[in-house]
Formats: sequence, C-alpha cells, structure tokens
Amino acid sequence: MLHRRLLAGLIGPLALLCATAAVAAPARVATLDWTLAETLVALGHPPVATAQVDAYRAWVRKPALPDSIIDLGLRTQPNLELLASIDPDRILISPMFANLAPRLERIAPVDSLALFSAGHDTWSEMRTLTRSVASLIERPQAATRLIDNTETHLETLKQRLGGDTRPLLIIQLMDARHVRVFGDNGLYQAVLERLGLTNAWSGNTNAWGFSLVPLETLIGIDAQLVVIKPYPAGVREALTDSSLWQALVDRHGAPLVLEPVWSFGALPSARRFADLLVTAMENTDGR
Amino acid sequence: MAADAFFRSRLPRLTLTPGHGCLLLGLVVTALVVAHLEATLGLAQGLMALWRLPDATAAGLVLHAAWWPRLAMSLLAGGGLALAGVLMQQVLRNPLAAPTTLGVASGANLALMAASLMAPGLLALGREWVALAGGGLAMGLVFLLAWRRGLSPVVVVLGGLVVNLYLGALGMVLLLFHQEALKGLLIWGAGSLAQNGWHDAAFLAPRLALGAMLAAWLLRPLSLLELDEAGARSLGVSLKHLRLAGLGLAVFITGCIVSVVGIIGFIGLAAPNIVRLAGARRLGPRLVWSTLLGALLLAVTDLLLQRVSGFLPTMIPTGAITAALGAPLLLWLIPRLRLGGNAPPREARTIGHRHPAPRRLVMLLSAALIALACIALLSGQGADGWQWASIGNGDLLQWRLPRLLAAASCGLMLAIAGTLIQRLTANPMASPEVLGISGGSAIALIGAIFLLPAPDNLTLVAIGTAGALASLAILVAINRKSGFQPERLLLTGVAITALFDAVKSVVLAGGDPRGQQVIAWLSGSTYYVDLGSALIVAGASLLLTLAAAPFTRWLDILPLGGATASALGIGVHRSRLVLLLLIALLTATATLVVGPLSFIGLLAPHMARLMGFTRARAHLAGAALTGALLMVLADWLGRQLMFPQEIPAGLVASLLGGAYFMWGLGRR
Repeated sequence: MLHRRLLAGLIGPLALLCATAAVAAPARVATLDWTLAETLVALGHPPVATAQVDAYRAWVRKPALPDSIIDLGLRTQPNLELLASIDPDRILISPMFANLAPRLERIAPVDSLALFSAGHDTWSEMRTLTRSVASLIERPQAATRLIDNTETHLETLKQRLGGDTRPLLIIQLMDARHVRVFGDNGLYQAVLERLGLTNAWSGNTNAWGFSLVPLETLIGIDAQLVVIKPYPAGVREALTDSSLWQALVDRHGAPLVLEPVWSFGALPSARRFADLLVTAMENTDGR
Repeated sequence: MAADAFFRSRLPRLTLTPGHGCLLLGLVVTALVVAHLEATLGLAQGLMALWRLPDATAAGLVLHAAWWPRLAMSLLAGGGLALAGVLMQQVLRNPLAAPTTLGVASGANLALMAASLMAPGLLALGREWVALAGGGLAMGLVFLLAWRRGLSPVVVVLGGLVVNLYLGALGMVLLLFHQEALKGLLIWGAGSLAQNGWHDAAFLAPRLALGAMLAAWLLRPLSLLELDEAGARSLGVSLKHLRLAGLGLAVFITGCIVSVVGIIGFIGLAAPNIVRLAGARRLGPRLVWSTLLGALLLAVTDLLLQRVSGFLPTMIPTGAITAALGAPLLLWLIPRLRLGGNAPPREARTIGHRHPAPRRLVMLLSAALIALACIALLSGQGADGWQWASIGNGDLLQWRLPRLLAAASCGLMLAIAGTLIQRLTANPMASPEVLGISGGSAIALIGAIFLLPAPDNLTLVAIGTAGALASLAILVAINRKSGFQPERLLLTGVAITALFDAVKSVVLAGGDPRGQQVIAWLSGSTYYVDLGSALIVAGASLLLTLAAAPFTRWLDILPLGGATASALGIGVHRSRLVLLLLIALLTATATLVVGPLSFIGLLAPHMARLMGFTRARAHLAGAALTGALLMVLADWLGRQLMFPQEIPAGLVASLLGGAYFMWGLGRR
C-alpha cells in the first residue's frame, strides 16, 4: 500500500515534468472498465488508475496492470475525490456507467465506448473499440499493430488446429447445478468464428452473450465441453457426487479446463482465450 | 375455535374441501407428468427412468438424473415448507407467520456467502451443514431477542423481521465487494429446484420424515395452543418450552430445505391458509392437508415453469416465481384477517423518562451535528493518506458537500417519517421501510436500470417517485375500508416488500453485469448526489419537516387509540390519511437517495425517546437531529473504513441501527 502511494507520489511530479518537457505529452488516462483497461495495457499505454484492481488481477489476469496503477475502488462507485486528485487527462467508460458521466466530466473529458451491442458483429466491434481507444490516446498505429497481431496470431492458431471440427460448448460453472453457457453476441463466439470452430450452443443468450441454464440442458447437445475456471468454492467436490455431471463427462469426454479469462473482454482477452483453448485442445489430441 | 378466529366470521367459506383441492391439483400434476413423459421417452420407458437409466439416450439420462429428482425435490420441499408453516402459524397464533420470517433463510444465505469467501474448505464438507449452522444461529438470535418476553408471538415475528433485514444488509456488503465470487449463490438464494442427481433428494427425504414424525408427536400439546394462554397454562403446559419445541422443529425442517434448494417463500404461507379457508379447523387435518397441498402447489408451479423456461432468455428460479405469487395472496388475505381491531395498543411509553429541559438537549444535539459535519467535510483520505482540508479547498469540498447535505437531509426525513409512523401506529417497532414505499420505488428503479439503455439520474428519480406513488396507491386502496388500521397497514407494507424481494432475486440471479449497479443503488449510497440534487433534497426535507409541525396535536392523541381520538374531536380517518401521505413523501424522497435499506427511521425516534423527548413536538425535533447525526456519521465512516472503496451510507446506518435495535429488543 505504502509502496503504491510512494509510486503515485513520484509519478505525479514526473508526469508534470513530462507535460512541460515533451511536445506531445502522453495522455494520462483513467478508466472504470476492465475491458478498456486491458485494451489500454495491450496498446502499450496503461491507464494511471482503474477500478477494483485486485478483482481485475483475479478475474482478468492478463494483460497485467502495472504496479503503479491507482485503485479507484468499486467499478460502479469509483472514489471521485481520489480520481479528482489524480487529475487524469481523459476518463474512459462503457455505457454501463453512463449515469456517472456528468460528474466524471467535471474531472476530465469522458468518452463512452461500447462493446457487445446487439445486432453487431462482435469481432468488428472489438476492432472499432481498439481503434477508438488508440485514437483517443493518439496512437493509431498501435491499434493497427494490435489488431493485425491478434488476427495473424488467431490465423496461425487456426492453421495449427487443422481439421478438428467437433463443436464446442463453452461453460462457466455457477454452482453444482447451474452453468453460464456462452453463445451468440459474446467474446468466445467471436473467437470461435475466427478459429473456424463451431459453437454447439445455438440457444438464446442475453445482452452479454451468455445464458444461465441448469446442467441438464447440456446433456442433449453433442459437443466437447470447455470449462472456464474458476470453480466456485466447493463445486469441484460437489460435481464428483453429481450423477448428471458424471454422465455428461462419460458422454462428451473429459472437459477442457481453461484458466480464468475475462468473459466480457476485448482483443487481449480474445487472444488469451484462443491461446488457452488451442493449447488445451492440442494437449488432449496428444494424449 | 381459535384457528377460525383468525378470519372474520362473515368470510364466505370456500365450497372446496381440502381433499377436493388436493385431488384436483394431484390430477394436474399427473397430467403434466404424463404429458412430459409421452413427449420424451413414452410413458412406460419414462416411468422406468424413475428407478434406473432406461437407455443410453440423452433424453433418458435427463429424465433419470434431472427431471425425476427435480419433481421429487419440488414435492419434498413444498410439503416440508407447508408443514413448517402450519407449525409456526400454530405456535405464533399468527396466520402470516411463514418459514422465512424467522431469519433462517437469510442466516443460511449469509453463512454460505461468508464461507465461500473466507473458508471455502467448509463448503467442501457440505453446503447443507454450513447453511444449517447459519440458519440455526439466526434463529437463535431471534429467540434470544424474544426470550425475555416469553417468546411472545409479536416479538418473535418482529425480531425475525429485524434479523432478516440485518443479515440481508450484511450479505449486501459482501455482495457489493465480491460480486464475481458470489454470483453462484445468487442463484441459490433465488430458489432454483434444478437437480443434478438423486443426491440432494436422498439427503432431504429422511430428515423430512423425521420432522414429520416429531410433528405428529407434538400434535396434542400444540393443539392446546388454540386455547387462550391462560387456559393453556392452567392445563399445566409450559408455554415457553412448547413454543420453543414447535418453532425449533419448524426451523429444522426449513433449514434442511433451504440448505438444498435455497429460499422458496409463499408455499409455507399459502398452503396452510388455503387449507384453513377450505374448512380444515383442527390441527391434525390442517397438518396433513397443508403438507399435501404444499407439495402439490410447488410441483405444479415448477412443472409449469419448466414448460415455459425454454422460451426465456434467462433462467427464472422457481423460488422467485413463488415469492411473486405470494405477494398478491398476502394482499388478498389482509382484509380477511381478524386482527387486533381498534383496541388501544400497548404503548411502549415505559422506556425513557421525560427530560427536564428538552430545549437544552436540542441545542446540544445541534452543536454535535455541526461539529460532526465539520469533521466530515474537512477530514478524509486521499492518495497520500489522511489529510485535513482547509475550508477554502473548493476542489475537495465540491465532492464532499453534496454528500454531507444529502446524508443529513435523508437522515432527517427518515427520522421524521419514522417518528410519525411510530406515533401513528402506536407501535415502537414500526419504521417507514415496513410500509413498502421504499420497496415500491425500488421495483420501479430496478425496472428502469434494466429496460432503459442508459438512464440518466433525472429519469431514475422520476421513475422511482412513480413507483413510490404506486405502492402508496395500493396501500390506500386496501386500507381505506378499515380506516387505515395500524397493524393492517404494516402488513400491506410487508406484502409489497415481499414482491420487491422477488423482483430483486430474479434480477440478481440472472448474472447480468448491470446487477452490480442495482446492488450499488440498493445498498443506499449518497454517491450519486450532485450539488444541485443535494440542494433540492435538503430543501424538500426542510419543507416536509415544516409540514409535519402542525400535526403535533394529532400525534399526541392518536396513539391513545381510535376511540379516544374521535372523542377528542379528531377526524381519525382524515388525519391518518394526511399523515400517511406525509410519511410516503418523506420516505420516497429519502429512498431515492439512500436506497430502501436503512434503520434510521426506526432508530432515530427510539434514541430520541430514550434521551427523554416525550411530547410529539420535542420528539420530532430530537429524532430529526438524531437521524441527521447518524446518517452523516454513517456516510463519513462508510467513505473512510475501506478507502478507496466506499461502503454505502445506508448499509453502515443499517448495521449500526440494527445492532442498536437488537440490543434494545433483547434488553427490555
């Protein structure tokens, strides 16, 4: 804590120095949204402050936030006094925080960037988002690089996969009886399309690209199960007692278990998910 | 019969007997089951799936490992809850007692939350044991509160209500800071019956069988409770122990069910009441028929829900559906219940003495308020730790001043509303939240957050007010005939609050990221106030306070009971209606800012009375100052305790207030 404050104390004056010395000073950006935070980090221009840093480290994980980042508190109620004292040049939010915009405007100009709007192609929306963020921090070429890199990388992964065409069912366990199953209009769907894989879930999804269903819904669907960690506390043990889960495993084969990925992220999370997924699929093939 | 005395004698008896009702529902269940089996594997194969895996098809597996266990679970849970409901209603002699009113459900919920955050190893041992322990502790707390008063029914129900609210507030704090980690528990809390094998049904069945056997054994002594207390006592029954045994059994059954399928309200309330309306009077038949009816009711609800759930974008938990059905039933029941009537209520005037110089006390409180306001305005933490701001530091004060103003005004309004309603109902445990006005505006606001793409604050305020006015309209429509009788009024509020709980749990269980926003608002923060709206709120609070001043004569007389008041020349109906409107306005305005959770309306009038403010005018002034003081303190503490994260003022206030209230309830 002390160490973080010291750093913050150091960075403030340093930034001031830069502002007077450099011709085009790098904008000091604060964001409330993890998706925008990870995009900023991936563009090589991490935010000076974001909300719920500890939870970001647990749920988004990578790309890692710099140690110097200042924690603003809850995403829905960032500490305004603190934010004002940091005095950022810009504040980036997603439409979810629209009601905060008037007050954030008093601290710095606010830009609201949307992702996962219904009826839009998620991947091209991610591209647009990346470009908008990059143009706000005046690094348009960084966006082109990030997009190209990600797309080339996904293309390489697609080649590596070859002709494996078994549909996938991507789930996250909520408790021993309910799962979120990810489908249309979500991050995972967009990645699967890029990799030339099929999503076995064709049912309804909400505005965030998932549907909450009881476990039995999955039985009738013939697919390779992909479980996104973490397991909620006690659920892994409960699943061994569950005849339904055991039957699922018997029918579909052992699930691929992936490290936590931010389900509502942008390009960095997409790439991370693709890497984890393809590695897991290759390991199974080799077994 | 005392059982019958709950209802007015002119109540038209239903022509349906309990037996016919159960038979009818049984036929519906059978038809739904047959239809489902025919649609999947065919009747013969489908029935076989009850015992073993019929074949290797997916349909067979689902039937064997999910569909049949779910049906069994709905029958078991429904029956058990209804059984517990009959027991509690019998023991408390209150037709509105239900298994969830003793705080068991919220205790279990909180224990599970705490365990998954702090000691996940406990969950691996068995979720049900954690839930049972939490539920048991919560019930213990309720009993502790009511023990000194001989477990009197009213105190038990009130204690349960407060423990429920308090544990709910604690849970809300955990949820606010750990939403991602706790999202699974939200589904459980909403009461989903989905099964993944016979494991849970096998856990529940023997425990319920044991519970039913104990209930049969207690049948005779419990029937004696239908006599009045003196009669029962003269027969040599220890009322305290008998009540304890009856309630304990009901809680054990509830705890077992809650730990497996979560919170399913309504059944425990509805089944026993329907059976009684259908003409079952003695305890024995009521136990048997209620259990049967409860089982069938839950099974029908769940089977119907499963039929439509394929068309819904998100899962709707069965418990939320039953809770939503329960609210209209309660509203329908209220005019049909025989309650205390117009008898002058027992006023809890005994607490507190009269202060010799209330004026000096008011000055003292004002000085304290000003001092605290200065501290809250000038001290706080920043990026470099604690700091004192100078009075001219506009950069900082522009953030702190609106929140200070809003907190003080809301505290003031809630305190006045609380004083009014406590004096109006002559019930020292009443508080504005109980009227359901906050609940009504909360329902409207949740709807706005979810249905509108990006609502701004002005829209939210307008919609919240509309919700508050709608629940006020319901309140007036239902209570006009009875002349706004205090008890009935409070019960209407309870029903509206139940509906609010259902809406809340559906929204939170779906796992939509906007749920975080709902939680943030529900927990009651001054966060969203800017200077403009803070000034409006402050102005409104002063205006409404002044509006309350002319009613002090009424407030001194109304607690003496309707008859006395009429004799003294007060139009009881009209004065109650006017005061009610005032309370509604005060509550709605405050709720929009600090959310529906707060004990200020309960706490401030109490503390003021303890300090020695007895006459209405002094009581109002004292309570108003105390309320403002408490809320400013809560707001400041909430911003500092977990810096940079903020605990909403409403939650801090309810944690402070709830603790005080339980202390007060237990002490007396």
